[in-house]
Amino acid sequence: MGQGSVEDGSRPVLRTVVERERRRTGQEEAVFDVSHLEVFYGDFQALRDASFQVQARQITAFIGPSGCGKSTVLRCFNRMNDLIETARVEGEVRYHGVDLYGPDVDPVEVRRRVGMVFQKPNPFPKSIYENVAFGPRIAGFKGNMDALVEESLERAALLNEVKDILDQSAIALSGGQQQRLCIARAIATNPDVLLMDEPASALDPIATLRIEELMQELKKEYTIIIVTHNMQQAARVSDRTAFFNVDVRENGMRTGQLVEFDETGKLFTNPSEPATEGYITGRFG
Amino acid sequence: MTTSDTSSSEHRRHDEARHRFAATLDEIRGGMVRMGSLVVENTRRAGEVMIENRLDVAPLVRAADDEINEAYARLEQLSFETLARQQPVAKDLRFLVATTRILYELERSGDLAVNCAGIVEKLDGLPDSPKLMGLLARILDEACALFARAIDALADLDASSGERLDREDDVVDDLVSRLYQQVGIESEAIGLETAVGLSRLGRFLERIADHAVNIGENIAFIVTAEFPGDTHVVLRG
Repeated sequence: MGQGSVEDGSRPVLRTVVERERRRTGQEEAVFDVSHLEVFYGDFQALRDASFQVQARQITAFIGPSGCGKSTVLRCFNRMNDLIETARVEGEVRYHGVDLYGPDVDPVEVRRRVGMVFQKPNPFPKSIYENVAFGPRIAGFKGNMDALVEESLERAALLNEVKDILDQSAIALSGGQQQRLCIARAIATNPDVLLMDEPASALDPIATLRIEELMQELKKEYTIIIVTHNMQQAARVSDRTAFFNVDVRENGMRTGQLVEFDETGKLFTNPSEPATEGYITGRFG
Repeated sequence: MTTSDTSSSEHRRHDEARHRFAATLDEIRGGMVRMGSLVVENTRRAGEVMIENRLDVAPLVRAADDEINEAYARLEQLSFETLARQQPVAKDLRFLVATTRILYELERSGDLAVNCAGIVEKLDGLPDSPKLMGLLARILDEACALFARAIDALADLDASSGERLDREDDVVDDLVSRLYQQVGIESEAIGLETAVGLSRLGRFLERIADHAVNIGENIAFIVTAEFPGDTHVVLRG
């Protein structure tokens, strides 16, 4: 990340070492290691017993019907569920081996390392420049802010379109541009992971494809987890896909559960579970 | 696919969510089954030309192949459109990919029947050798029966057909080997041109049987995502 890093450059070096080690051993590196994850909102169980790993520099897609728990899981990765008073998380989420819900872990630091892009582009009502500079400034960034803003916009494939209007309001940008600005804003704090919750569902098809192309570029540097209702999008962009489903109990309780998690090519050509087949082929109620 | 896993009412209800798509897949499969029946029928017709020396039937064989080619063009177009418009996945995707291959097998088999009739026409009939004609008649019967079983398997999406048809094809291969030997024995009596022509007839009928085996393997692929045998696994299972 050069001089634009929030940190002093130690992490890119570490990343290079990890990368080299990964190539040497031929092993994938798990960014998140989830075991027996369960999430409750009050008495309601939103997710039951999910265990899986999210690999570094891959795009992992979560698909499934409404209420299947996919967004709930996503929110566990940056401790957004902490913001919901009745939410309770059980089981374990390890982030690079560290228990994400451990007593010493600062949720604010987690959210800096694990950025989030939302369904509806939500730029601040400020200039394009300030939208990107905001996060690093809060985090105490002392380097060359102009360079950091430029680099972040470049990485978000937006720089060419906005380089001459950085002082104009972000609200005037198109929906697709606003969403790429939100991605630039997320990566300006030098995160490791990007969570994307339906990042293109409010965009037109061309803007959607631009976001998808951008994701392919971003995954060289970042680990991306995307929640999408658009199965073709999951099939197009992701390396691995998790299918979550709603399990309806006799008492009417609806709980999300992980049904199948596999390489995307495998899951969309030869899924192992009949429930996955039913969902992705559209023969599912 | 709409037939193999629709045993429960729940499945039928779910199917209705994409019933037009399901109906299109059924239409394609039904079209291939009809096309396969035309191939069997026309191969038998070519057999009349060969075995009963009915040179007058040869033009009918050619005319009937036009119908097969038309079905091929129509079903291929429908498959491509369905791939483009429905973005099928999983078993539906395997079905449509296998469809393009099965259509090819069917179309080629139809051409081979036409070629058989053409050879007999060119030779102005086949020699009156009981052994040669007996072998040729048996090859014809076995090849047609094998092809008909492949079409039955397609109608039912019977995954076991792949390996079964491959075993049954050995009978055809053995008979064709015996035909070659007999042609060798009688080559002087029947003359070189006829000997070559008979060998080609045996070869073409053997190829028709091979296409039937390939159809069976593609059916197994649709159902199981693997080709029978261990050398041709296409999808990671």
